[in-house]
Amino acid sequence: MGKYIVRRLLQMIPVLLGTTFIIYMMVFVLPGSPLDGKCGERPCPDAFVKKFEEEFNLDKPVLLRYLLYLGNLFRGNLGTNFYGNSVLDELRQRFPTTLELALIAVFFIIVVGIGLGVIAGIRKGRFADHLITVTTLILISMPVFVIGGLAQMVFGLKLGWFPVTATDGTFNQLLLPGMVLASLYIAYVARLTRTSLIENLRADYVRTAKAKGLTRGRQVGLHALRNSMIPVVTYIGLSFGGLMGGAIVTERIFNINGIGFFLYRSITQRDGVSVVGTIALIVIVYLFVNLLVDLLYGVLDPRISLD
Amino acid sequence: MTSSPIRFVPGGRKALRDWRDDTKPLLKVDDLHVEFRTREGVAKAINGVSFDLAEGETLAILGESGSGKSVTAQAIMGIIDTPPGYVTGGRVEYYGTDLLAMPEKERQSVRGAQIAMIFQDSLSALNPVLPVGWQIAEMMRIHWGMNKSDAMTRAVSLMERVRIPGAAQRVNAFPHQFSGGMRQRIMIAMAIALDPAVLIADEPTTALDVTVQAQIMRLLEELQDERQMGLILITHDLGVVADVADRIAVMYAGRIVETGGIYDAYAAPSHAYTRGLLDSIPRHDQKGETLYAIGGLPPSLTRIPAGCAFNPRCRYATDDCRVGAPPPLVEVRPSQWSACLHAEEVIADAQR
Repeated sequence: MGKYIVRRLLQMIPVLLGTTFIIYMMVFVLPGSPLDGKCGERPCPDAFVKKFEEEFNLDKPVLLRYLLYLGNLFRGNLGTNFYGNSVLDELRQRFPTTLELALIAVFFIIVVGIGLGVIAGIRKGRFADHLITVTTLILISMPVFVIGGLAQMVFGLKLGWFPVTATDGTFNQLLLPGMVLASLYIAYVARLTRTSLIENLRADYVRTAKAKGLTRGRQVGLHALRNSMIPVVTYIGLSFGGLMGGAIVTERIFNINGIGFFLYRSITQRDGVSVVGTIALIVIVYLFVNLLVDLLYGVLDPRISLD
Repeated sequence: MTSSPIRFVPGGRKALRDWRDDTKPLLKVDDLHVEFRTREGVAKAINGVSFDLAEGETLAILGESGSGKSVTAQAIMGIIDTPPGYVTGGRVEYYGTDLLAMPEKERQSVRGAQIAMIFQDSLSALNPVLPVGWQIAEMMRIHWGMNKSDAMTRAVSLMERVRIPGAAQRVNAFPHQFSGGMRQRIMIAMAIALDPAVLIADEPTTALDVTVQAQIMRLLEELQDERQMGLILITHDLGVVADVADRIAVMYAGRIVETGGIYDAYAAPSHAYTRGLLDSIPRHDQKGETLYAIGGLPPSLTRIPAGCAFNPRCRYATDDCRVGAPPPLVEVRPSQWSACLHAEEVIADAQR
């Protein structure tokens, strides 16, 4: 177990190197310069360009710059962005908001997604099942910006149940964005839970549970559900990584000052250092969540051996 | 026989329920009908099965796949999935009380505790993600309200009773960590946990290799002897039941076509189908010869032939066999019953 964790942690290093390399190259090799539009309508004065390029090593070859960046990265220094702010500070400021948003979303995914899936699964072929299957299909087919805009209009403006934007990032403000962010995953989790539960309800050990004289609730809720949750937990764990990155659209719709919004802004402003730093952070979170899911998998399914 | 301390735990078989009438037979199945309503039509799986079972008696139910033997067991247990399965008629009396008329809640208290069942494939029949001891202990915790540690202690002694080596160390192991034979012993431990009066074993040895089969059968026999359980042994393997069973009931297309003492049925089968089954057992003295097999396939349960359901495959069949209602069970010899119109002929053939 311990050995396994160490091995997995070591495996993270090449992954992190690979992702940062690809992102770094994409950001800095692509045409265009961070100086575009920096000085209004006119091009920047040569002296400013020279100073800027020296400051950010833009005059050096891109590979060398990457290596320099990497050196800083392993010292925990994510560099300074083109606005003179420490990227680490920027992220540190915004990460808690995004994390909170993702946690709210995961909460809804677990409660609503699994709940709907279980209802559909045990009422297979009945009205509730059809209703849930169709609703989730609609959710899956709609892009997040449509769902977000609709939710903002209906629940925020028309009904006034929730704040329209979440500029301060308080819990109340993040509830609606959390639901919007969760909606797609709720649909997937509900469907996955349904399929998995239906499959497990047919299993022999559920028949055994019945023959043991257990109540229907215990047959389903304990014996079948315990087995059905194996793929669902895996999926939710992996989606958590996606939630961190996928918050870009949601954070923009609700004006949330999180890392998704920061990433979006950095991309449009060609603030390469910020982009690479943010993505490195998302990758690290993703990798750790992945490891956690794999460990949990071993707990949920004793047939899986981690060694 | 060693007397097991397990037997006298409070709430076991000794805790008689007020509805139980001990003057009535342990188990009496009367004119049971079960059908499965599927998209392809109504499959009549059980068409009037009747038998009874006394304490300490072993009844073997024999038949090919689809003959309705497992469905009979599931109907007695009350574990048929509805839909598609429906018990459409008959009675299943346990000490005089009709289980089919019992409210579900009460029936749950009978299931597992008074009438228990062992399934064929122990790997899929045990929950893969729960420790075996936990699964055995669940019986005591749910039915008797025993606390966790007492239930686990009893689970260990039950595992010892079915001779699982190192039971105390392996009580927290998972089903996949046991061999097939050991897993079937765990199934048995779970089934006998509450000291049931009736044990139904649905092909308990089919998934096991021959040496283990013998061990499991011996264990079942021993447990039955010790507890005076009524044992229903469902199998398609006539060899397995020969030493163990007192009586047999041969099923075909959802009916019992022959029933009686096991020696009579083996020595002189009185139904053409029983005869066919016995002839298909490989024998040492026929080494090198072609093994006999009953021609054709069992009928589709949605279209059971008129008359005797076996007639299309039967070498004794005459026109009488192909029309009208299925022939009833008739006592052809003392305590040997057959639903064959040519019973005399079949018996005579066997005695020749």
